[in-house]
Amino acid sequence: MSEYDPIKTNISQVITETPNIKTFRLKPQRSLDFKAGQFIQLTVPGVGEGPFTPSSSPYEKEKLEVTIMRVGRITSVLHDSKEGSVVGLRGPFGKEYPLDKFRGKEILMVGGGVGMAPLRSLFLSLTYRLDDYKRIVFCCGSRTPKDIVFKDAVLNKWQTQFKDKISFRITVDEGDGTWKGQVGLVTTTLDNLDKEISNFKESLAVVCGPPIMMKFATLKLLDIGYRDENIHLSMEKNMSCGLGRCGHCQMGKYLVCRDGPVFTYEEVKNIPNIWD
Amino acid sequence: MEAFFISTANFQHLLGNLVKKNLLYGPRKKGDFLFYEKIETASPKDLVLHTNRPVQPLKSFFFPPYQKVSQYFQVTSPVEKEIPKRVILGVKSCDLESLKTLDSVYAGTQFSSSPDPWYTRARDNSLLISSDCLEPDENCFCTLLGSHPYPEEGFDLNLSPVDGGFVIEVGSEKGKTIVSQDQNLFTSADEALLAQREKIRANSQSKVKELNQEVEVKSPYRDLIRESYPSPVWKNHSESCVDCGGCNEICPTCRCFLLQDGTEKDRFERVRLWDACLLTGFARVAGGANPRPKLADRFSNRLFCKFYFFPENVNLDACTGCGRCISVCIGKIDMRKVFRDLEKESSEASMEKIK
Repeated sequence: MSEYDPIKTNISQVITETPNIKTFRLKPQRSLDFKAGQFIQLTVPGVGEGPFTPSSSPYEKEKLEVTIMRVGRITSVLHDSKEGSVVGLRGPFGKEYPLDKFRGKEILMVGGGVGMAPLRSLFLSLTYRLDDYKRIVFCCGSRTPKDIVFKDAVLNKWQTQFKDKISFRITVDEGDGTWKGQVGLVTTTLDNLDKEISNFKESLAVVCGPPIMMKFATLKLLDIGYRDENIHLSMEKNMSCGLGRCGHCQMGKYLVCRDGPVFTYEEVKNIPNIWD
Repeated sequence: MEAFFISTANFQHLLGNLVKKNLLYGPRKKGDFLFYEKIETASPKDLVLHTNRPVQPLKSFFFPPYQKVSQYFQVTSPVEKEIPKRVILGVKSCDLESLKTLDSVYAGTQFSSSPDPWYTRARDNSLLISSDCLEPDENCFCTLLGSHPYPEEGFDLNLSPVDGGFVIEVGSEKGKTIVSQDQNLFTSADEALLAQREKIRANSQSKVKELNQEVEVKSPYRDLIRESYPSPVWKNHSESCVDCGGCNEICPTCRCFLLQDGTEKDRFERVRLWDACLLTGFARVAGGANPRPKLADRFSNRLFCKFYFFPENVNLDACTGCGRCISVCIGKIDMRKVFRDLEKESSEASMEKIK
């Protein structure tokens, strides 16, 4: 058994989320324990592997899911895969969201596009023990209404289920005929946050999305009073071996596969080109 | 450590014994260059023990350019072939130093939760007989990194030429075993021989120093690089870089690799191949984002890795001053001059402040 051997895994269900994002439910031959924020390497046999953060709850072991956007070689083959296809899994790798630090706090989640995938896993972890946290505000930005990932959950199900303690701010960059919600970049959901979060200095933020979105969301959070060490970012770099050896995900003094992918802004702010 | 004398004739005897039980490699001359090549006889004509390092980096023996690391979804796992015992002869101090970096990545647990099985097996199966470097070339700069052209650790046995033979120093238990198996080939090394060795070593050391007079700096490289990211020095020096990654491939401490999957008959395979951070796509992600799209950024990143990333993580400079990156560079880039210019720039900046 080599640490580069993937666990044989069946795709048991494919859910189309948006025109270019699908969720794959996976059944590995050996079960795999992970925590929200950690990543796995998903192998397309004979083609290669890529790093993905599961989007499902770490507490529902039978329902391991990854939510993937079609962007390159591996993801295109995955998108063309049918239920029953065989893939491989290695991991989990890296550090999870520091839930201990989140206890008793007001939590702000900011997600953009496919960046909603790790946030869903985090959200399901937080709501598993919702009493541990003071309040959650979930901000979600998408390009158009068609591009909203986990649409039914964020627009309806979660909103109803958790209405006492969690509020949702959903925006799209461009509306369409049917869209009645907010239109604007995800940063606009951070306006008037003081209505829901009482103390920005103590509140913790989690940001995940395209680099440009993470950059502007972070700058805005700093501007309204969030502390560097309280902003958690998902630095999705080119993780390959997952074992701290291959060097691809080196970022400053860190290896993202070992020290991340979750970093605080404090940890990475002095590293050149972190948003690229 | 214990040192013995072995005469030239007895040394041939020793090689004869080693070649019987092991695969023996050593620096052999091919044209103008030295390469680690297989040695089949006890008295190979073109074996060159005491000039500078061979062209290939020592890493090739332990972290080969191509390594099959997985055959997956098979009913039965592939049978691992026994790897034969190897003796590598004529390893230079700079290459021994490079193993500290590779060991930290592949044999240690600072980076990974467990050591790499292929690397550790190859290390365990190899005996290193190093030798002093007496003819440094124009690109050698071990002395600039606080090292010297003769090894003090990391070898199993080390050879230093003296009149009539070698002083052979024992550096490990494995080395000790070799000596005890052929005790009659060795005599004790007396003070006079050791003094002779020291004299020859000091001479070689001053040769390296002399070669580097023009590029010597006062501060350690790791101090000079720390705050240097915005410096124009990086762009200036990378202007002649042709993006070939040669410096990565030939560097004895560059340890990055690429995993590549393929199909072989009815099974899937995964291999790891040397990779180069100088190449455009090295850190690019599938979506297209690239933290180092500019050549100057990739160029500086390679040296930041050596003098910032490794010191921060394992307190090691991941550079041994072997000078291969200078020899190989089509663009004639010389990292010593990069650091010289960084120092010049920072001293000019502090002069400005005083004014």
